[in-house]
Amino acid sequence: MPSAEYTTTAKLPLDTIWEFVKEMDNWAELVTGYQSHVKESETDSLWVLKGDVGVMARTLKFRVHITEWNGPSRVAFELEGLNEPMDGSGCFEMAPHEAEDAGAAGPARRSGFFVRMLEAIARFFLRGFGGGRPPRAKSADAGPGRGVARLTLRLELRPGGPMAPMVNAMIKPVMLPAAEQLTDGIMARLEQLHGRA
Amino acid sequence: MASKPARWDLEADWVSIGSGLGGVAAAIAAHDQGGRAVILEKSPRLGGLSGFGGGEVFVPNNHKMRELGIEDSDAAGRRYLEFLAAGFADPALFDKLLATCKEAVEYYGREAGVAWIAVEGLPDYYYPKVEGSHSGGRYLTVDLFDGASLGEWQQKTYPMTPHVPPGALHSEMYGWGGLAKVVSWDYELIGRRIAEDKRSFGPGLMGYFVKAAVIDRGIPAYVGTPVRELVTDANGGVIGVRAEQQGADFFVRAARGVVIAVGGYDHQKELACQYESMPDWNSAAPPYLHGDNLVMGGEVGAALAAVPPTNLAMFYGYRIPGEEADGAPLYRASWECGVPHAIWVNRKGERFCDESTYKDYQPRLRAWDGQTQSMPNLPPTLIFDQNYRDRYPLGSFMPGQPLPEELVEVADTPRELAIRLGIDPDGLERTLERFNRHAAKGEDPDFHRGSFAWSQRLVGDFDYPNPNLGPLDKPPYYGVRLVPVSVGINSHGLKTDIHARVVHVRGHAIPGLYAVGNSAAFRDLGGGYQSGTSNMRAITWGYIAGRHAMGKS
Repeated sequence: MPSAEYTTTAKLPLDTIWEFVKEMDNWAELVTGYQSHVKESETDSLWVLKGDVGVMARTLKFRVHITEWNGPSRVAFELEGLNEPMDGSGCFEMAPHEAEDAGAAGPARRSGFFVRMLEAIARFFLRGFGGGRPPRAKSADAGPGRGVARLTLRLELRPGGPMAPMVNAMIKPVMLPAAEQLTDGIMARLEQLHGRA
Repeated sequence: MASKPARWDLEADWVSIGSGLGGVAAAIAAHDQGGRAVILEKSPRLGGLSGFGGGEVFVPNNHKMRELGIEDSDAAGRRYLEFLAAGFADPALFDKLLATCKEAVEYYGREAGVAWIAVEGLPDYYYPKVEGSHSGGRYLTVDLFDGASLGEWQQKTYPMTPHVPPGALHSEMYGWGGLAKVVSWDYELIGRRIAEDKRSFGPGLMGYFVKAAVIDRGIPAYVGTPVRELVTDANGGVIGVRAEQQGADFFVRAARGVVIAVGGYDHQKELACQYESMPDWNSAAPPYLHGDNLVMGGEVGAALAAVPPTNLAMFYGYRIPGEEADGAPLYRASWECGVPHAIWVNRKGERFCDESTYKDYQPRLRAWDGQTQSMPNLPPTLIFDQNYRDRYPLGSFMPGQPLPEELVEVADTPRELAIRLGIDPDGLERTLERFNRHAAKGEDPDFHRGSFAWSQRLVGDFDYPNPNLGPLDKPPYYGVRLVPVSVGINSHGLKTDIHARVVHVRGHAIPGLYAVGNSAAFRDLGGGYQSGTSNMRAITWGYIAGRHAMGKS
């Protein structure tokens, strides 16, 4: 099943990141294809996204259920497809980044050549034919150090029904670019809000 | 139109305006005759409508049939196409097209590496009803194309299209049971092919042509470069084009010729409604067909020509809320109507056609009632029952998956459904009683649904005695309001001669100007459409145009 994991860093206090991430209204519009969201309760929300796989886009409705609040380091959630046979799960993880380690930045796993090629195509379309990466925090490449934190997004989607293998192949290339867009977008927005670079 | 600029930004012998099959085939032909060819495309991707479609090329008695030992003859092919043309074809264009189409497809197979395959077992539309029709083999398609071989152009072409199964071959699709058996297709195989960017159908076809042009031959191609005007000399001859790149003029000289290969006007709704005499118009084609052929041609005095729209390809379908393609609303032609347990009705709740065969339903939808000054069969409504939902998808909504409320009405009885849909409930009840009584026996005495072998093969379910028929007798009942869905093939286009040159309103050929594909009026076949004829015209006239401009007739 398709999954993506992406980590980025910024010179920001951990609590600042947590305060921002724990309130979905803060970053909802940074989600790729975001159309709308409605909070049903402290743990449940309904999301409408435009899922774009390059040649076609489709409206996707999800219920997001928070399964774990563990601030300021982790929030985990599950996804339930309301109009498509697709479920999933994921989490945000926040941690100090004071020393170099394996999970410091970038995707945790490198995928095959074809998937990387398709990911590049997905980025191309996600940025409106502009190509390249989304805006990143200015301090994203500063390396480990005091006051630096990292934010990781892990996401897994599980298409169902007879077409699942085909849908897997179509959505896999867009997942990492989407994870990059959200995670980098959060850090860049926070840096902007808190005037740090 | 524009005058000669003080300075050309690019000099060439041949300019293809548009990168669909006709434009690319013409560029290859011109290049192979020693010309410096250039391709200008206004969209962000090469491939045009051809790269978005089914990729079939209809060529009677083609070389791949012969390799498979399938018997056919030029004479039989001619008789069949004459039947399709129904007397509306221009004889000279018809003769030239038939005399050249085999040569053209063989040329691109041999010289451009297009891996043609004859589709076995897919009959002509009218087989076996019409003399000259064939049981299978006249449709050429391509073997899987490796998207990675396009290099930097891989992401500037269509890897797949929403309208056909990505990464599957015709033979596989029919082997899996056709469109009625979408539920049981081999999606593991399809998924692998998507991941490896192995292309088929239209994206595969255009993959071969684009590779032959821009990779193998190094023909310069520019995407995001709309041509705005033709550039003419003092005698009215076309000597180049004024295109735009990022808002700035980009003048390209064409010393030997320019071909307009930009398709038709599907996405100019007002124009389409007028020319097609329809109250509404939507398109399944990429959103770049704006009638540029008529604008650019008109500015230099080109004559317009038309064929009967009733003989062309036009469908009815729907838009699944939220679906888009290339940033525009995505409309899907409805194939559900040819599957068992589904029918179409008009506002009176009456059937009016063989729903499994668009050559039958399309003209009946256009019917005009002079007594009431109305089109009595518009808009049609798709009706199906739970038998259908248990077995078949609606669009990409598989059995068991909830259907979008914005698209589908549901009710426990036909009467209740009819009321919700605004159609005559008595009429729908009467229609279902009669239809069901005969469908249970595999018969349709009113419209003979299931009598076309092509419809059986494409959308039929061979688990049924009549693959296109099944009663609607299991509640709940479902209804979908349908709208016209064109596939980019229009009744009006530029008038051309036997060299694909555009004809002036005063009757002479306009020097230096050609038109091919759907930019040229369908006079060569009298609008007598059958799957693959549009691509056949594009390849053949592109081949003729590019060679003629370089001095080869």
